[in-house]
Amino acid sequence: MKHETFLKDVAIGIGVVLLLALLFQVITDPGIHDLIIKTCIFGLFALSLNLLVGYLGLVAFGHATGFATGAYVFGLLMQTGTWTIPAAMGVAVVAAAALAAVIGAFCIRAREIYFAFLTLAFQMILYSAIISFVSLTGGDQGLMGGYPKPPFLGIDLSRPFDYYLFVCGVTVICVILLRQVIQSPFGYALRMIRDNHERSYFLGIQVKLYQWIAFVIASALAAVSGVMMSLFVTGAFPNFAYWSMSAEPLFMILLGGMQTFLGPLLGAFILQLLNDLVTEHTRYYGLVLGLVILFFILGLRRGLLDVVWDKVSDRRRKAGTVRPASPVTGDAEARERS
Amino acid sequence: MDLAALGDCLGTSSCLIFQTVGGLKIGLLMFLVASGLTLIFGVLGVINFAHGSFYMLGAYLAWQTMALTDNFYLAVLAAALGVGLFGVLFERGFMSRVYRGDVLVQILLCYAFILILDDLVIIVWGEEFLSSLGIPDAFHRPPLFVGGAIVPVFHLFIIGFSTLVAVALWLFMTRTKWGKITRAAEQNPLMVSALGINTSLLFAGIFALGSLLAGLGGALAASERSISSGMGFSVVLESFIVTVIGGMGSIGGAFVAALLIGMTRSFGAIGFPLFTDGLMFVLMCLVLVLRPQGLMGRSGG
Amino acid sequence: MLKLENVHKAFGGVIAVDHVTLDFAPGSLSAIIGPNGAGKTTLFNLISGRIKPDGGRVVLDGEDIAGVHATEIVRRGIGRAFQVASIFPTLTVSEALTGAVLSHRRRTLTLAGRFHRSGLDERVSEIMTLTGLEAQADTLSANLSHGDQKLLDIALAIALEPKLLLLDEPTAGMGPDERWLMIERVQALWRTGGMTLIFIEHDMDIVFKIAQTIRVLKYGAVLAEGPPAAIRENPEVIEAYLGAPAEETAS
Ligand SMILES: Nc1ncnc2c1ncn2[C@@H]1O[C@H](COP(=O)(O)OP(=O)(O)OP(=O)(O)O)[C@@H](O)[C@H]1O
Ligand SMILES: [Mg+2]
Repeated sequence: MKHETFLKDVAIGIGVVLLLALLFQVITDPGIHDLIIKTCIFGLFALSLNLLVGYLGLVAFGHATGFATGAYVFGLLMQTGTWTIPAAMGVAVVAAAALAAVIGAFCIRAREIYFAFLTLAFQMILYSAIISFVSLTGGDQGLMGGYPKPPFLGIDLSRPFDYYLFVCGVTVICVILLRQVIQSPFGYALRMIRDNHERSYFLGIQVKLYQWIAFVIASALAAVSGVMMSLFVTGAFPNFAYWSMSAEPLFMILLGGMQTFLGPLLGAFILQLLNDLVTEHTRYYGLVLGLVILFFILGLRRGLLDVVWDKVSDRRRKAGTVRPASPVTGDAEARERS
Repeated sequence: MDLAALGDCLGTSSCLIFQTVGGLKIGLLMFLVASGLTLIFGVLGVINFAHGSFYMLGAYLAWQTMALTDNFYLAVLAAALGVGLFGVLFERGFMSRVYRGDVLVQILLCYAFILILDDLVIIVWGEEFLSSLGIPDAFHRPPLFVGGAIVPVFHLFIIGFSTLVAVALWLFMTRTKWGKITRAAEQNPLMVSALGINTSLLFAGIFALGSLLAGLGGALAASERSISSGMGFSVVLESFIVTVIGGMGSIGGAFVAALLIGMTRSFGAIGFPLFTDGLMFVLMCLVLVLRPQGLMGRSGG
Repeated sequence: MLKLENVHKAFGGVIAVDHVTLDFAPGSLSAIIGPNGAGKTTLFNLISGRIKPDGGRVVLDGEDIAGVHATEIVRRGIGRAFQVASIFPTLTVSEALTGAVLSHRRRTLTLAGRFHRSGLDERVSEIMTLTGLEAQADTLSANLSHGDQKLLDIALAIALEPKLLLLDEPTAGMGPDERWLMIERVQALWRTGGMTLIFIEHDMDIVFKIAQTIRVLKYGAVLAEGPPAAIRENPEVIEAYLGAPAEETAS
């Protein structure tokens, strides 16, 4: 029966890509194309983070480590001029996963807020390394000078339409993969750990191992979005590894909704839209964004799709089966302080 | 990397003393800020990620007071009290609403305040970097020469003053009733409320004290550094590192760790000029592996 | 089956379990009783690997499992339920049990593709029937009644098909009627499952009615052990434990 949902996902995915391709032809405004591209890139980035935040209850604050590693490794390989895009992409993703395996082994030992800031600290090591090793990374200038984008399989990413379609396609594939993971027995285990890690131990689930695997998977997917971002700017910049790069996807998750699979994607879209709109009118984007965040945290208290979803399920489900409000406001789990 | 230079420095007393004094100054200033962070974490169990912005606010407030009164000491005092007050408002108005929420919400709330404060100071004080406060007239005197090293008198003042604050903090925690309650709250928050102590008041007070320390650190640092929007972020990270190395919630640990980091920065600037930041992180990772609870922290974490 | 040899555990100055030596026969149904703070839960924690003993051996089928990690002890066939029901609030009853069965079948590291569905749903509904939770299959665990939450906690342990099942006060917080219903279910589970069952209980009527063997703990030490009849007569027990009306000692 799960097999069917996989096929359904694939069908929907193909449909979405075709639709987006059509959109590209109909609406020729490059601003809209960029909006969609960035929504894909940051949407995948936020979705991968939500595997940890929403499905595992682990608030990782250093998710940009994977993003930046993907972008830089890819950019550096491409600058050699000898790598094909798929090969460089593969290496970039594997590199990010390997790095996450090491970092994860450290961080998983810590709990909650400690975990959050540890992952951030590791990200800032990467940041200061990028800034320091000027000869390799270009320091605070970033990877400059661009790189060639040799065509592969008839796809030429230097053409806007090819790149656009590539980003949409890769995103859709990754989203389907992520959905598979979430619906798999492994995904079940993650939700059990989120709900009650103590009980999970006594059902034979090695909590730390699962957290570590999820951390590596999420980072690998973040690297994919990093690679797409590198292709977008034909380079890589140190702000990819800056802390705000990790804070934004956290907000996207809250904005769109963490209980709904595609919530973070919606959050990415809204944030991108907000960015475009606000920066047009004022240079105080931070101020506006800060106020919006406050509104969501203290006013609405959960993501948009969660709100919609609860309305729908209120009608659909009988009273006893409606999910409690998202863990954002509930006591996620008695906070143990040791 | 320049290990030869580092070796030379360690070999000459003038350089050694100069860097040590510099390291002490950096470390003690860092302690002021970090102790505020660790204090709040110890009692409330939250990390005030906007702590660096409070530091920034302290610098701006000090600058403003200085511009109005031309009195350095008043500027420092006003900054400390002003940020302390801001801390209470922040805690009562915002942070206290999310203690029961999860970590994500706490982080995002602080993130929002970082963004807002960074823009607000630009709106009020403009985008240009403000110049440092300068050191007070009393310290415009020839530097001391100790073992061939130049030691600015003002640095000695900062070192002495910060040490005094550290001692005062220690006395407060160990000798006063509220200090003892604070330490009890760190061990067992439930017990404290069971004893009928007003935890809201305690939390607000701790937040005020923690913020005050951030403001104080910002004001003192502003005597010699330029002031700008966004100056707080590296500070909150450093404070976090100090907190991790020292042990979450341990003021004594924060003291040792801050000095350690101060020295690492001071001497690292000679040996690894480009990687002093990285060096701090490496130090933190070492501690995490060898002693996860931090130098002086209680086990767990 | 399970042997405790000189098992010892102290928390700071408090000696929670004091050099306890006990032997549980395979397939037996035994009760542990004792006043509040006697160390009963701690004893379960030591057996199930939640905490490590300071000294002594916990021998399961000839192997010392003292200090072995909890997940590994689960794999060796010890399941447990908790004094305060420990469940998964946002999962429905059938979802939680599916997870437990998947874990028991070691499928939870399967990352993608189909569920290994063969017999999964059947097994889940079997467990729900056994524990009387069928009607609640699609109810969120958080919305269950107190008694059903206790049942679900036990059902989760049953999903592991344990050789040895530890139940910490299965009837805690229940009214008299509900208690008997619960205890009949537990007894039925034990009969059909062919497992060794140890339960902690404060209700003396229940204990004397269904336990084959009773162990009395006090201040962490074994005060007495034996069949209900012997325990009932034991002057030390009467003095130390039954002297107080049973109602007062129930938590
Ligand atoms: N993790 C712990 N840390 C410190 N002390 C503990 C811990 N667990 C138990 N204790 C102490 O050990 C003693 C035995 O506790 P335990 O929970 O085993 O008692 P119990 O027999 O299960 O009591 P009850 O009938 O109330 O459930 C008590 O004094 C308790 O305070
Ligand atoms: Mg107990």
